[in-house]
Amino acid sequence: MTTTHKNISFQLNGRPVTVHAGNHQNLVELLQGQGLYGARESCGQGLCGCCTVVVNGTAVSGCLTMATLVDGADVRTIEDAQADGQLDAVQQAFIDAGAFQCGFCTPGFILMTRQLLDAHPNPTEDEIRHYLAGNLCRCAAYTEIIKAVRLAAKKRKG
Amino acid sequence: MSPFELAEPRSLKAALKILDANDPSVRVFGGGTALMLMMKAGVFQPTRLISLRGIEKRYAKVTSGQDGSLHIGALITLSALGRTAMVKKRAPVIVDALRTLSNVRVRNVATLGGHLAHADPHMDLPPVLIALGAQVVTAATTGSRTLAVADLLTGYFETALAPNELISEIIVPSQTGWRSAYIKLTTRAADDWPTLGIAVSLQTDGKVIQDARFVVSAATEKPLRLPSVETALRGATISDAVLARVGEAAVAEAELTGDAHGSAAYKTELLRVYAGRAVRKALAA
Repeated sequence: MTTTHKNISFQLNGRPVTVHAGNHQNLVELLQGQGLYGARESCGQGLCGCCTVVVNGTAVSGCLTMATLVDGADVRTIEDAQADGQLDAVQQAFIDAGAFQCGFCTPGFILMTRQLLDAHPNPTEDEIRHYLAGNLCRCAAYTEIIKAVRLAAKKRKG
Repeated sequence: MSPFELAEPRSLKAALKILDANDPSVRVFGGGTALMLMMKAGVFQPTRLISLRGIEKRYAKVTSGQDGSLHIGALITLSALGRTAMVKKRAPVIVDALRTLSNVRVRNVATLGGHLAHADPHMDLPPVLIALGAQVVTAATTGSRTLAVADLLTGYFETALAPNELISEIIVPSQTGWRSAYIKLTTRAADDWPTLGIAVSLQTDGKVIQDARFVVSAATEKPLRLPSVETALRGATISDAVLARVGEAAVAEAELTGDAHGSAAYKTELLRVYAGRAVRKALAA
């Protein structure tokens, strides 16, 4: 029968891991157990985007995801390094545009921007604002963030 | 959160078998976003949950009925629902409402069935589906039944679902001849919970309104049709005077309650003004 804890196996940033996890744990807690602190639980209600994790190619709120449900999944976090150790277009654009102050929300914004640009390589300002409406930046670097997204779109096209 | 058992059945039949009519703490979930919030707040402390994610994929698909109706599997995520071409074409009001329904990550996970079964009166799609005349198909080991979305929602976080019953499908009838609109009013961000929701469907013949469904939500214990408004609209040709009467009829009939998103007086004033705007938006759709 079912139990409250189980062993789960999944791909974490491209490497296989097996973890003993509780159903009542959320994905952010699971990742912290793996030494990954890029996904942060901030609002805890799926509103702020700081806990963004990409599961099977889809962005989710880690704080609202039951840990054991990622059994068998491909899980990617902000720590997912490029093969050659280089920053990607989105990361570089955030630096170039100065799109952060404290940086707490930045992993979520970068992961969501990648998702946005995968779906809409040429986003309008309206699309950018709607897509990122669920990411909050308490330093209010929104103007620079929107600039960074536009810059990243340009960089991606090379 | 406290520990609980989690079952992940591979079929709807298996899920229904685990659902125990005698143990109300056993619950099914689709995406689990609303459920996680309730568990984190300690409002709900289950002993066993059933994830429906692993059941047959057909329960997450949209198919067309021969009469032009949409048959939407209850497990479809809100993101997938918004991307479905058939939905965009036949019921664009749903796609329009999804634009400001929470955020991308929640829509990626939350399911239409869960959205309805949760029965929070602030949800965006229940009023829209009621205006569209939608129905839900339910499943239980004892059989299946079909009921109007309006009858599914019985009160504040309350539904007509039996403890051993779940929603398997949502049917949106053919909208030929109808135009619909949803207006969501928020007091903070556009994608916040609404302080007031208004969904309108109009059947028109030229400039004359033949039939109307007018639903108000987020300020009542459940989404509510307003018959007096619908009566005022039937046979009417829209003018500023008619729309003013519609607004007055709406506030005379609806008893709105206040919450964290606005006082009853504020919401009533919003309804007075936006009732007519919602009708105009539907006519322009």
